Amino acid sequence: MLAGDYEAALKPLLRERCFSCHGALQQKAGLRLDTVAGMLRGGKHGPALVSGKAELSALVQRVSSSDTDERMPPEHEGQPFSEAQVALLKQWVSEGASAPAGELPEPDPRDHWAFRPRQRPSVPAVKQADRVRNPIDAFLAKGLEAAGLAPRPEAPRRLQIRRLYLDLIGLPPTEAEMQQALADGSDEGYRRTVDRLLDDPRHGERWARHWMDVWRYSDPWGLGDQHRNSAKHLWHWRDWIVESLNADLPYDEMIRLMLAADESHPDDLQQLRATGFLGRNYFLFNRNQWLDETVEHVGKAFLGLTLNCAKCHDHKYDPLPQTDYYRMRAFFEPYQVRMDLVPGEADMARDAIPRAYDRDPETPTYRFVRGQETQPDRSRVMTPGVPSLLGVALPDIRRVELPPTAWQPERRPWVLETQVGGARKELQTVRSEVARASTNAAATAIAAAKVAVAAARLESVVRRAEAQRASWNDGPASATTAEITDVARRAAVTAERREKLARHRLTLAETQQKLATAEVGKKDALAKEVATQTERLAALEKEAAQEPAPSETFSVLSGAAWVPTRFLDSTKDDPAVPAAPHSTGRRTALSRWITDPANPLTARVAVNQVWNRHFGAALAPALFDFGRKGGTPEHTDLIDWLACELVDTRWSLKHLHRLIVTSAAYRMDSTLAGAGAELARDPDNRLGWRRSPIRLESQVIRDALLAHAGRLDTTRGGPTVGSSDQAQSRRRSLYFHHSNNDRNLFLTTFDEALVKECYRRETSIVPQQALALLNGRLVGDCAPDIARNLTASAPAPGDEAFVRHAFEQLLGFEPSPAELQAALEALRGPFARSAGEAGGKAGPATGTSAAEAQKAQAQQDAPMPARARLVWSLVNHGDFVTLR
Amino acid sequence: MTSAPSVGALHPLSPADGQTPLRPRRAFLADLGMGFTGLALGTLLQREAGAASSALWTPPDGRPHFTPKAKNVIWLFMNGGVSHMESFDPKPMLTKYAGKTIAETPFASVQDPKKLALERLVVPDANGNQRNTLFPLQVGFRKHGQSGMEISDWFPHIAAHADRLALVRSLWTTDSNHGAQTQFHSGRHQNDGDFPNLGAWVHYGLGSLNENLPQFVSMGTREYWNQRDGHYLGPAHDAVPLRIDPDRPLDYARAEHALVGAGQRGGIDLIRRLNELRGIEYPDDPAIAARIASYELAYRMQSSVPEVVDFSKETAETQALYGLDQPHSREFGRQLLAARRMVERGVRFIQIQHGGGGAGAWDAHSGLKANHEGLARAVDQPIGGLLTDLHRRGLLDETLVVFATEFGRTPGTQGSDGRDHHIFGFSVWMAGGGLRQGIVHGATDEIGFHATENRHYVTDIHATILHQLGLDSRRLEIPGRKRLDIDHGQPIRELIG
Repeated sequence: MLAGDYEAALKPLLRERCFSCHGALQQKAGLRLDTVAGMLRGGKHGPALVSGKAELSALVQRVSSSDTDERMPPEHEGQPFSEAQVALLKQWVSEGASAPAGELPEPDPRDHWAFRPRQRPSVPAVKQADRVRNPIDAFLAKGLEAAGLAPRPEAPRRLQIRRLYLDLIGLPPTEAEMQQALADGSDEGYRRTVDRLLDDPRHGERWARHWMDVWRYSDPWGLGDQHRNSAKHLWHWRDWIVESLNADLPYDEMIRLMLAADESHPDDLQQLRATGFLGRNYFLFNRNQWLDETVEHVGKAFLGLTLNCAKCHDHKYDPLPQTDYYRMRAFFEPYQVRMDLVPGEADMARDAIPRAYDRDPETPTYRFVRGQETQPDRSRVMTPGVPSLLGVALPDIRRVELPPTAWQPERRPWVLETQVGGARKELQTVRSEVARASTNAAATAIAAAKVAVAAARLESVVRRAEAQRASWNDGPASATTAEITDVARRAAVTAERREKLARHRLTLAETQQKLATAEVGKKDALAKEVATQTERLAALEKEAAQEPAPSETFSVLSGAAWVPTRFLDSTKDDPAVPAAPHSTGRRTALSRWITDPANPLTARVAVNQVWNRHFGAALAPALFDFGRKGGTPEHTDLIDWLACELVDTRWSLKHLHRLIVTSAAYRMDSTLAGAGAELARDPDNRLGWRRSPIRLESQVIRDALLAHAGRLDTTRGGPTVGSSDQAQSRRRSLYFHHSNNDRNLFLTTFDEALVKECYRRETSIVPQQALALLNGRLVGDCAPDIARNLTASAPAPGDEAFVRHAFEQLLGFEPSPAELQAALEALRGPFARSAGEAGGKAGPATGTSAAEAQKAQAQQDAPMPARARLVWSLVNHGDFVTLR
Repeated sequence: MTSAPSVGALHPLSPADGQTPLRPRRAFLADLGMGFTGLALGTLLQREAGAASSALWTPPDGRPHFTPKAKNVIWLFMNGGVSHMESFDPKPMLTKYAGKTIAETPFASVQDPKKLALERLVVPDANGNQRNTLFPLQVGFRKHGQSGMEISDWFPHIAAHADRLALVRSLWTTDSNHGAQTQFHSGRHQNDGDFPNLGAWVHYGLGSLNENLPQFVSMGTREYWNQRDGHYLGPAHDAVPLRIDPDRPLDYARAEHALVGAGQRGGIDLIRRLNELRGIEYPDDPAIAARIASYELAYRMQSSVPEVVDFSKETAETQALYGLDQPHSREFGRQLLAARRMVERGVRFIQIQHGGGGAGAWDAHSGLKANHEGLARAVDQPIGGLLTDLHRRGLLDETLVVFATEFGRTPGTQGSDGRDHHIFGFSVWMAGGGLRQGIVHGATDEIGFHATENRHYVTDIHATILHQLGLDSRRLEIPGRKRLDIDHGQPIRELIG
């Protein structure tokens, strides 16, 4: 065997099975196996290799041993060598263990490009200067020139405008917008279009969806009525993302707010919405699963670190000991989720802000032996800490003293008013329900009791609100204030007792009615129940009449509610914990560390994500793994330059978008016609000599259909559109309920984001997509309107002008003569004929909805069914769902 | 493609300028798009780019790794957890020591904490606990066939096929809650996240047998935590959910609007023509060819999918064989009959969930006898009928039928008459697909607590099935998604023969 065989066959095997412990990352037993020299040198147990003597070589012995204590890789650490692999190893050793000349050891992992400090690279001077619109192009041109490759020419202007609209605001340009952009054909004109779109509030809606993919947005889900995952009303976080992007809130500030707005803005509901990022990970039953997801995706989304790979053992590729995983977890150990009351809505089932807060500051974090939650290593508490690998110090963790309104949110000025308002509204509702209800004697008694309950509750809420206000008197204490407080307390206690009494009266009235209508056999039991309840009534009446004891308290009207967990017992909520007047400050420290400009990863990871969504391909293909396993991408200098731009412009994402979309790289054509040489030399486009066509995201496809049809409801923000309302809804797809087990069918068909992990959207081509566009009601509903709009906006009458216009508007290009002819033939031939047929028997459609659609069709679309059919065909054209 | 002269330039195998060498991997991907089920093309292309450093990796080429013995899989999954002791693993000691605590019997050592340590909790639950007081067997057992396999009296129709079964009585898993359902499908515990399931791997690894039908189909209600299949392999490898309803067997299979009616074919012809013409300007765009293929397939699916769930051409005898004439077995019987029709038409992997919804119908925490007896009546005759029908049509040799569930049930009683979840030992059987027949493999201890002989984690079932299909799961692995030995499992040699 030659050295080349070792390189080709053995070294990859050793790299996979051995290097993580015996290479650059670690040198267990002082041994390195990443060079033959290292094997011969050996470790503390002597040489691993005796050249020419397989049977004497420790390496051979250890990998082929049948004793699991002896065998390498050890159990749970890697797959044993197969017999064939052992034989290969033996043969190579026996034949002299030849090594390639100048074999180099693995480089120091800390030297990996992404772990090194980021420095602004100078922009290279290049020959293809005419193709350089900004430094992005210079960095790409350097590589292309070295490889002798030419970049593709610029795409047709119409296509560029279509790209800008769909990419920056997620909607196609209207005819007027297209004409305006085409008329302003200069480079300044292009830039003006870019600026207009970046300032458009729809930009935030479009890019929010991208970040929601990365940050794992999910509406809540559970089993039946039981809420189990993600926080309720999480749409507040979505709206915060949209607004923040539109305001160009710096990316670093977004991270800090998402991780720790409860510490930096403890009383600002608008900012607290940001912590929906953490609310997303709520899981009713299992804390470990919850925090595993938190650590994994904080690592992947912000840092491009696969910390999750260090959960069970030291990381196999990066210098991340297992303890780094648990120290990262410790930042999050105290946090849980609560709902904060919003002004004007007392019913948290209807609205409230889901937000993070430190609930259990004292909970220790332990390392789990081999990652198993059943085996915590209690000998050592894991304190919060960051990987030392990156060489950036964690800021001091400083406890945050919270203002009283933050940890006692009932003190917020609107809370008591909202509670009183809620009780008042409830009374009105009950009264009007009672007024509408039918009247027989028993029903009247119950109705009266219900009104009494609502009235008593209002009284109780009012009195408790007064008592709470009185108790917060922060002025100098005096006998008078104490007396006022005590009077209010007694009134509140009494009112609450009366509420209880009213509720009991209602219960009794209901039991009495049951008794009145019960079958004979059940009367006895019910009569007994009535007797017991009557007795209890007397006790409650007596209690209500008594003066409250000095120690007696009332239930406080709350401004927030902890979202209960069931970590201890799945059948009941875990015990409540009194709110702490402080927060640990852990997450603030972590967020500052992540966004420290010296952190080598954060900005690099961010620019790569943005690039990926603009181009449909990333500069560093492993979006969430900037570690050694992710490899070294082709254009680290470009990544670094973009990262520096991001940081140096106060982390402005809009600046980054503007840079990217005004580059020549972005404006290139995606066709491969005539690109034979480039295709042969760089088929995977590693050097960036062309753009690739992008299959549009599911949301864009649906939104574009509605927009072309003039049906889009542009209302921004607010609660999600539930599944039962989606068929009728014309809102942007962003607002549809989107959770692990409840996602819109049409959107799912086109590769909807997976809520558990979506750093990159899948882009499949499957027949179900064809069926959705051929047969789906959405297209059927939109096509006639689109045809009508296109007819109205076409520059000239007649079929030919219509066809040209339809191609340009729907597909973004002017039809060739052959395409024009094919479309015209269909329009005048089969489409006109089936227009005649469709009036009577409408093909395979079945069911009520189809019948309705048919009727609506006949009414609305009679003048132009053939054109609607052509539109239907063009919507099914590949270019409708593709960004060329 | 078509007779249009321009089309040659469209074919992804065509060199763009006559000089360019062919790029087989890419060409293969586009070719797959010409076949059925579609593929995550963009994803695969991206992975290719991402995997450039991993020179050893190539995507599957749709061919088995070695000669397969089976072509199709019918995967029957009983949601909720079937009691192994009242189905396929009789334990008379339960009756003998009924009412005694385990500690009072000679089998006290089964509760050695070391032996219980494999459990990984998701939910600290009122369920999934050890139940100490032994509960007697709720049904009788008889020996069946030449093999003398013991099967409970609740499953007479399956028992009639005892000599065709390869029964494994020594499964174990680690999730004592119903997340074990996904665990049985993917091999991974719920706490680890979501991972592709067996059907998705098969779909990913093997090419098409039929260009008119999806290759990976699911029927029956799925639990909310078990809704998808492909996960990191991509949604193109999710099962296509089918309903036994010729009017609405598949989402969007029928027009929901009256826009084109009978003109659909003309429209599809235009779409195809326009997509082809676009290929002149965008030669070598594999998405164009894949999309054209997907429309042709979609068009055919509109008729082939309703046809496969239309039983009007099945004889009354066949329908009765599957229990379609009886209300208790009709629903499941229809799914199994559809499964046989799909096997005949070359559908690769048919995944059927029985009793899905809630935690799963078989979850007999109380009233085990009534629960299991009723559910067995719902599934026994259809399954027996399926085996009979596949056999007489000569399909059983190439079709692997799997009867599985997420875990067994406790030897001890829960409440007065139920059994709790039990992960330490349970039974699964397979039939057909070239496996050995009439064989019982592995065993639990005398009270059915622990798998003791030839213990198998659930992925050994996967590895066995993949082996029969000619696949080595290690060769399906993709870069960046490390799988562990236990994720791959080991084929059960004793069943393969």
